Amino acid sequence: MNLERVMQVDRRIIYLFVAIGTILPIIFVIGLPVSITPPVQMAFDRIENELQTGDIVLMSFDYGPSSAPENAPMADAMLRHCFSKGIKVVVIALYPLGGLSEAVNELNKVTAEFPELKYGVDYVNLGYKDGAQAAMKKMAENIHEVFPTDVNGTPLDRLPIMKNIRTYRDMKLVVSLATGIIGEWWANLVNAQFGIPVIVGPTAVSAPKYYAYLEAKQMAGLLGGLKGASEYERLVVNRYPKLGEVYATPGLYTATKGMDVQSIVHLIMIAFIVLGNVVYFTTKRKPRKAS
Amino acid sequence: MPSLGTWLAAFFTLCMLSFLYKDNPFFRLAESFFAGLSLGYYIGIVMNQTLKPNLVLPLIQDFHANWNLVFAAGLGVILYFRYVKRVAWVSRWALAVYVGYYVGVNMMQKLHGEVIPQIGNTMLSLRYSGVDTLSNLVMVVGVLAVLIYFYFSAEHKGVVGGVSRIGIWFLMISFGAAFGYTVMGRVSLLIGRMVFLVNEWARPLIGSIT
Repeated sequence: MNLERVMQVDRRIIYLFVAIGTILPIIFVIGLPVSITPPVQMAFDRIENELQTGDIVLMSFDYGPSSAPENAPMADAMLRHCFSKGIKVVVIALYPLGGLSEAVNELNKVTAEFPELKYGVDYVNLGYKDGAQAAMKKMAENIHEVFPTDVNGTPLDRLPIMKNIRTYRDMKLVVSLATGIIGEWWANLVNAQFGIPVIVGPTAVSAPKYYAYLEAKQMAGLLGGLKGASEYERLVVNRYPKLGEVYATPGLYTATKGMDVQSIVHLIMIAFIVLGNVVYFTTKRKPRKAS
Repeated sequence: MPSLGTWLAAFFTLCMLSFLYKDNPFFRLAESFFAGLSLGYYIGIVMNQTLKPNLVLPLIQDFHANWNLVFAAGLGVILYFRYVKRVAWVSRWALAVYVGYYVGVNMMQKLHGEVIPQIGNTMLSLRYSGVDTLSNLVMVVGVLAVLIYFYFSAEHKGVVGGVSRIGIWFLMISFGAAFGYTVMGRVSLLIGRMVFLVNEWARPLIGSIT
């Protein structure tokens, strides 16, 4: 076999392998095991052990459809966890390109699984607000001024859940499902200046920088990308086995199923990297012919 | 049978993925649609979710209580003066207010929320306490070495050169971790699209044919 030809393999061949490695595990779910890492365990423990029934969590949808495959499973798992534990959720969206539609979609999907929940009593969607930093700062003074109405145009005073919520002090936790920089602002503005614990679920691309905030105890937990979402799903299912039926629904996209695909694709990439390196070093060792 | 919306989404997804083969008119068509739709969506959401509830309705419903919003609206309007050459300079006043506000917010945020806590978290004890000591040592050596790598007022030779080379190693390791996460993120997005194509488009389509 001519090793030089392996070095010049068409990139489209690699894409083809990746495509096959992506599609097959979607059709034939493998169910690989999920190991739990400390940042995700911290996030889960904060909600499970330190929040009581009736406590309020502010959940900010700071992502759009472009990163939904990573962020949406996080949102689903955290909403399911909160509702299973009887925690009330106030939803907002600060990401302009689709944050609101993602919030509406995920809320509709998850609340349909909990028919006992009442809108305006157990959860509420306050909608989208432009100018994320300014909105975050103003919410420390008065949430009702930032969001005068909910997403349906109902004044907040008419919603029972919002009657006793004026500022961050009236909530126990902020969860930001974030793409880009908005999650950072929750940590370095809201947590640093107003002291409310913050959990961020960033996309994998942004995850490394969030570890600095986690190490400095500016965040109460971290769900890094699809892997973080799959770990949270596993923790939620272990604690609330009834949710296992939901996660086993055929055709439902979950982070755990996504991680099967992720693992296969990573193996394909590693195989190509190893092959490339072996061929490179083998051809490098060959004595050069005199020209 | 998949709905029209699903067909459109599948078509544009395949158009986007066709770029992997090579640049082509289908990809450029989808790209243009995406840019146009995003802008249209953004304009719509700002109009309905920001301007209407926060400016238009408060001014109509109770002008006396909300008259100060006129200033914010005025600043927003004069930003567009830049398109009229004779009065373009006026837009700078609004810009100055926005930049000033942003610098004020950001300065406090960066100092209070990033610089001070991150510096504090770097000042770690090197007193012997088992594994933690090693971890703290790596952190302190890494931070100092990277800072010296970015110190350009002294030539990077001798001790400074040696330490800055250690800094390069620390940087490479952190870039490697970031790259790994980036690959994971990109693959996750591919999975999202493929899940859509398989579960929402191909499966119902095959089901309706068979």
